[in-house]
Amino acid sequence: MATDALKRQIAGKWQNSFARLNRDQEGIVGLLVFSEAWTLATEFLHPRDLNDPAANKDWDMSQVRVAVETLSRSKMLPLLLENFLEDMRKQQHLITRDVQQYISQYEEAEDIHHIARLIYRLLEWYRAWVPISELGHTILSAYTLTFQTHVYSILPPSFSRGFKQLVNATFEIGMSPIAPPWLPPTPPALQSLVPAPRPDLPLWGAFEQLGLLDRNESLISSVCYEHIEAHILGTCARRWSERMLQPMREWMTNKIVPWMVMPYARGARSAEEARSMLQGVGSRFDFHVCKTLSDLRTREIFDIIIDFPDSQPALEDLKECLQRVDQRSQLVQTLRKANRKRLLHPGADTKDILTQYVSIIRCLRLVDPPGVLLFKVADPIRRYLRERPDTIRCIVASLVGDGESGDSLVDENEPIQPLQQIQVEDYTDPSWEPEPIDAGPDFRTNKPSDVISTLVSIYDSKDLFVRELQVLLAQRLLAITDGNFDRERRNIEILKIRFGEAALQVCEVMLRDMTESKRIDQHVQSQKNMILHPTIISRHFWPPLQAGKFVMPGQFKQIQDDYAQEFHAFKQDKKLRWLPHLGTIHLEIELQDRTVPADVPPLEAAFIELFSEKDTWTVDELIARVGSVDRPAALKALATWVDMGVVKEGAPNQYILLEVAEDAATHPRPTRMVEEAPAVLTVEQQQADQMKVFWKFIEGMLRNLGTLPLDRIQTMLKFAPNYDRTIEQLGAFMEAARREGMVTVSGGMWKLSRA
Amino acid sequence: MEQLTMSLAPARTSQKSAAAGSGGESAGSVTKRLSSELMTLMMSSSPGISAFPKSDANLFEWAGTIEGAPSTIYAGLTFKISISFPSNYPYAAPIIRFVTPCYHPNVDIVGGAICLDILQDKWSAVYSVQTILLSLQSLLGEPNNASPLNPDAANLWDSPEDFKAQLMKHYRPINDEGSA
Repeated sequence: MATDALKRQIAGKWQNSFARLNRDQEGIVGLLVFSEAWTLATEFLHPRDLNDPAANKDWDMSQVRVAVETLSRSKMLPLLLENFLEDMRKQQHLITRDVQQYISQYEEAEDIHHIARLIYRLLEWYRAWVPISELGHTILSAYTLTFQTHVYSILPPSFSRGFKQLVNATFEIGMSPIAPPWLPPTPPALQSLVPAPRPDLPLWGAFEQLGLLDRNESLISSVCYEHIEAHILGTCARRWSERMLQPMREWMTNKIVPWMVMPYARGARSAEEARSMLQGVGSRFDFHVCKTLSDLRTREIFDIIIDFPDSQPALEDLKECLQRVDQRSQLVQTLRKANRKRLLHPGADTKDILTQYVSIIRCLRLVDPPGVLLFKVADPIRRYLRERPDTIRCIVASLVGDGESGDSLVDENEPIQPLQQIQVEDYTDPSWEPEPIDAGPDFRTNKPSDVISTLVSIYDSKDLFVRELQVLLAQRLLAITDGNFDRERRNIEILKIRFGEAALQVCEVMLRDMTESKRIDQHVQSQKNMILHPTIISRHFWPPLQAGKFVMPGQFKQIQDDYAQEFHAFKQDKKLRWLPHLGTIHLEIELQDRTVPADVPPLEAAFIELFSEKDTWTVDELIARVGSVDRPAALKALATWVDMGVVKEGAPNQYILLEVAEDAATHPRPTRMVEEAPAVLTVEQQQADQMKVFWKFIEGMLRNLGTLPLDRIQTMLKFAPNYDRTIEQLGAFMEAARREGMVTVSGGMWKLSRA
Repeated sequence: MEQLTMSLAPARTSQKSAAAGSGGESAGSVTKRLSSELMTLMMSSSPGISAFPKSDANLFEWAGTIEGAPSTIYAGLTFKISISFPSNYPYAAPIIRFVTPCYHPNVDIVGGAICLDILQDKWSAVYSVQTILLSLQSLLGEPNNASPLNPDAANLWDSPEDFKAQLMKHYRPINDEGSA
């Protein structure tokens, strides 16, 4: 089928090729030269087996160059490249075998030396097969690509792990002056990069030549992240008494940045260039330092607050970190969680909660001056404190400085200032700033106010405090026996500054009562010398006192009456009403064989007075004689005398006076636990009394109006005087009444139970 | 203010015009008086009588409850009444009606109107809700048969069994939806 034209065409092509290979030389000389050159070049390039010493031939490089030159002139280099790559593919099994061998060694021993050796071995292969530079850039990059593609395709997943460990080891290798034995010496070519040769340099060089750096960039940075984390956690954990952020940054500069030069600035020729290359990654690592430190401090925040003020440097670190890292919400969450778990539970003392709350205030002010964090953290604490019955008492106790406890909530150095009201924002203020961006909708700008104002603001009104203050003051005044009220006076003066004159008027009256009592007593004593020194109080201004209605018998009654008479003579328009259960009486009991001196409460004195009438009394007889005393109180009074060996218990409920002392050794005195009943009704007791009044109203409305829903009851209760309960409190009260069987409820409608 | 107007109490006719003239002031003092009466009533715990304002918005309309005194023919029965205070209370008597039908010589069985001297011409400002309720309670046991509103009841009073039968025929026990 071959036509002449086709034949001619083929002949032309052949002629062309021949001319190209023969290069216009005579006969087939050119062809022969080409053939020789091809054979030489392919043989030279042929990937040899490193394990086969015979393959390691010495080549005459000038011959090779000439051969390559010839091939180049014949435009046969692409073909040579193809041929070479084909040969490589055929020889790849040699590498595979080596890789498998090293990896299995590594997997067995988990020793990074094997990984390092593997890398060096791969480098050897790479170097052994690399074509000479005369073949041009194309062939070199094609070779590198093929080589790496093959290597990566055969590396098992365990290599990544090993590589990571190896990179991690470079932190130490780079720092140590001598290289571990499995590392080859630093090649002089790389020494120019850094002033002192570092043992890890060849390793990095190997990494780079094998293309491991580009491929594993994220892995390398994760190694660095982990290294930073480990260092920070190891160095900074629970070290709050000094600033750590700055030392950490210095550590970064001294240790991490030099290391970073290797993976991130290897191509840099000057220090300037290196710096610009490191800038991006460096700031990423700096961010990581801040984040790690702030995470650590966030986790430790509760304990840091406990340690405040010793832990102040840690808080300053945290503040600086938070400016760089946005972890504020995390901090709030962690602290709230810690508070819930460690603080706001029934096991914690109210005083401790308050102390911690105050510390939290101080700490978070330091971290976040605008107070957004504080507001978010404080809210649950405040709500919890509001539910605790003794919160007010604790705050008030610390206000008047209980002295013994020592660690008062109030900083001694803090100036005493009036309570601050919630301020309306002053927009004309030239230094006004808007609310921070993460402030909640109900955030109130918390101007740096003093701690006491913040504590008092837990409650909506300060009246509660004033009432509790009266109770506390009453207790303290009645407890004073030496007539020295200076301390109380000082406290009241301080509190006046805080709460204002008007609120403390009642307290003022109470104080005046005490001094007045002293004055009246002096007068009465001047008229008629008496052993009774009463404290005369104005009933309207004092919180309700425990009502005790017993009558002092015998001589005590006489003394009381005498005194009342003198008093009446002095103050015509006033009458004394005795509170017989308060006070102390100094007695000397004269018995047949001994005299017993004693300082006792009035009830004890009353009983022993009765024993002067007859020697044997039953408890019931004693109670009947003094009037209304409850039995436990009577038994307690008798126990006092039993302990003193003045009376003894004969038959059950019968006590006998011991005119002659019994042998004390026969009945060792048990240590008696005396629980002083407080003389003043607490605010809770007062509230309970008030609730009785409200119950009458509820009863009245339900009786006459039938069934009512809770909210109607709540609004109707406005008829009751001083009704100030919330509907939740009312609901709880009604629920309690239901349990008592006084009311029933169905479908939200309350109804009196049929009596 | 309360004490001031109280001291004017005997001058009854002038009081009425004064009350009409200064409605705002007297309304305030009436409210105060009613509040204090409510307080007294709530705290007194007299057995069998009770009253309370029908709503928190209006202190002038009360609902009351009277139980028949023991050992009277009304023993064990409970009667609801309504009390309506005039704006010049306590210088005029409150208007009181039985809501529960009450078969009684001095009570209108249909309208519940009551014939009691202290609620009419014998009224005095010293009376209070409590005294009225107590009077009504005693009226149940001791009717004034001389001036009956319900002549049938007055005639039957002397035959207790027939009276009781009539009483129970008209009486309706208080049910619970009596919410005002």
